[in-house]
Amino acid sequence: MSDNIENILDIKNIEVVYDNVILALHNVSLKVPKGKVVALLGANGAGKSTTLKAVSTMLASERGKVTKGSINYNGTSIEKQNPSQMVGLGMVQVLEGRRCFGHLTVEENIISGAYSRKLSKGDINQELEKIYGYFLRLKERRKSQAAFTSGGEQQMLAVARAMMAKPKMLLLDEPTMGLAPQLVAEIFNIVKELNQKEGVSILLAEQNTNIALKNSDYGYIIETGKVMLDGTAQSLLNNDQVKELYLGISKKGRKNFRDVLDEESLTKRNKGKNN
Amino acid sequence: MDGLLFFMEVVVGGLLAGTMYSLVALGFVLIFKASATFNFSQGAMVFFSVLAFCGFMQDFNIPFVLAFIMAALLMVVVGLCTERFVLRPLMNASEDTVLMATIGLGYVLEGLAQAAWGVEVRRLDLGIGDFPVPWIADNLKLFISALDITAGLVAALMIIGLFLLFKYTKIGLGLRAVADDAGAASSIGIPLKHIMLLVWSAAGVVALVAGCMWGARAGVQFALVDLALKALPVLIIGGFSSIPGAIIGGLIIGATEKVLEVYIGPFFGGAIEGWAPYVLAIFFLLYRPEGLFGEKIIRRV
Repeated sequence: MSDNIENILDIKNIEVVYDNVILALHNVSLKVPKGKVVALLGANGAGKSTTLKAVSTMLASERGKVTKGSINYNGTSIEKQNPSQMVGLGMVQVLEGRRCFGHLTVEENIISGAYSRKLSKGDINQELEKIYGYFLRLKERRKSQAAFTSGGEQQMLAVARAMMAKPKMLLLDEPTMGLAPQLVAEIFNIVKELNQKEGVSILLAEQNTNIALKNSDYGYIIETGKVMLDGTAQSLLNNDQVKELYLGISKKGRKNFRDVLDEESLTKRNKGKNN
Repeated sequence: MDGLLFFMEVVVGGLLAGTMYSLVALGFVLIFKASATFNFSQGAMVFFSVLAFCGFMQDFNIPFVLAFIMAALLMVVVGLCTERFVLRPLMNASEDTVLMATIGLGYVLEGLAQAAWGVEVRRLDLGIGDFPVPWIADNLKLFISALDITAGLVAALMIIGLFLLFKYTKIGLGLRAVADDAGAASSIGIPLKHIMLLVWSAAGVVALVAGCMWGARAGVQFALVDLALKALPVLIIGGFSSIPGAIIGGLIIGATEKVLEVYIGPFFGGAIEGWAPYVLAIFFLLYRPEGLFGEKIIRRV
């Protein structure tokens, strides 16, 4: 039982199948300790989004299903829940690609995040001010239509909207996709702040291994639906394999794309000879 | 001068008649916004609702207002059943599947209506005659039907009501969120089934109002189902996802079909208002397929 109290999220050996045939996750286990930031790292198609959707129960709307294993959130199984019930339990997912409501204003977008809570007008305004405290940029743009804001602003909006639901846990799916380095840093600063001041536990799916690990406590690396490696963020940052495969640094120093290509063509040529 | 007055009369009459198309189109738009499906059963909903309304009044001698409220409630029940037994089981099915389901739903409603209330044409008397209003005829020299004016006012009221509902209520905000991105809406805890229920009930009540207007003019009969298809060119012109589009599309169709009928119709032997709107719609499909106010649909492939 003490395990449940320590870990807000506990995923044990899950397997996920889409459309009854496509196996997306083979065997993923991971834990998110209460109040911590955990990074889930991997390339496109590795299964990061699928893992997050399995947790938020959004899989069903994409014809996906958890076929093996168990997911426990805050000590209870999420098996019978639907997405709006999960939000009620304090677990909110920020979907990949921001997904703001384009025709609504920035402020309406944020307010829509409080849909699951029964708040008076006054309470909503109070919450809004609190949220704007973290997202100063959004306050300036509160009256603009969300579709006409920049990518960075939309990402902040998506996080702000999720925070309006007063989550205990946030699932962030590639929050830095397609953003300039400066904005990436800004968004991670806000995420850190939310984690520390609001005590929100965070599970973060990212391709940007370096910055994700620098802002997390623990990391999991998954490839083709399996956890390949896990450890504290610091240990992963210092791990030679991670350095080489995900951070582009080898023992000989920084490795660039051309080196990789050269290596590849060399191995290919060798293979040809062997045949 | 007489020619101009006559032209005005044709246009105004057409515009007002157009609001009746707008009313029907409004029902389609509501559902299209929330579930991205063309609701083929909208025509059957018009027929079902107004036949029930007539049935309550004429078979059970229930007073007008009470009968109207009962019919509106019945449409809410229809919305509830549709959500529970048609939409929810098809939650993760493709849009095409839902489209087919609405066709089936249409047949069920038509059948139920006729089984319950009979097949003969009923007369619906709203207490408003389909005659020119004397005051306007005397002062402005325009002959405009009182029923047309009523339909125009009712349509305007419905639109204002719906606008307020969507703009200023919580559930309205939820609906607009779902219309923009249903997946994102459910990710932040907006329950899709509540929104679907709201939309189908609202579409049912709109169908009832439209049915009353059409029924008062043409009699409450099975042909109402096909009349509702006139909303198709209205939607193509106005855009499937836009409430103002439905209104303005209706006005455009109403005015053009009357003007074409009066001035060009004789060259074709008359009765072109039945197909002229579809010709107009074809031009829109060729040059502006998203309609005047519709959202451009961009799909990643």
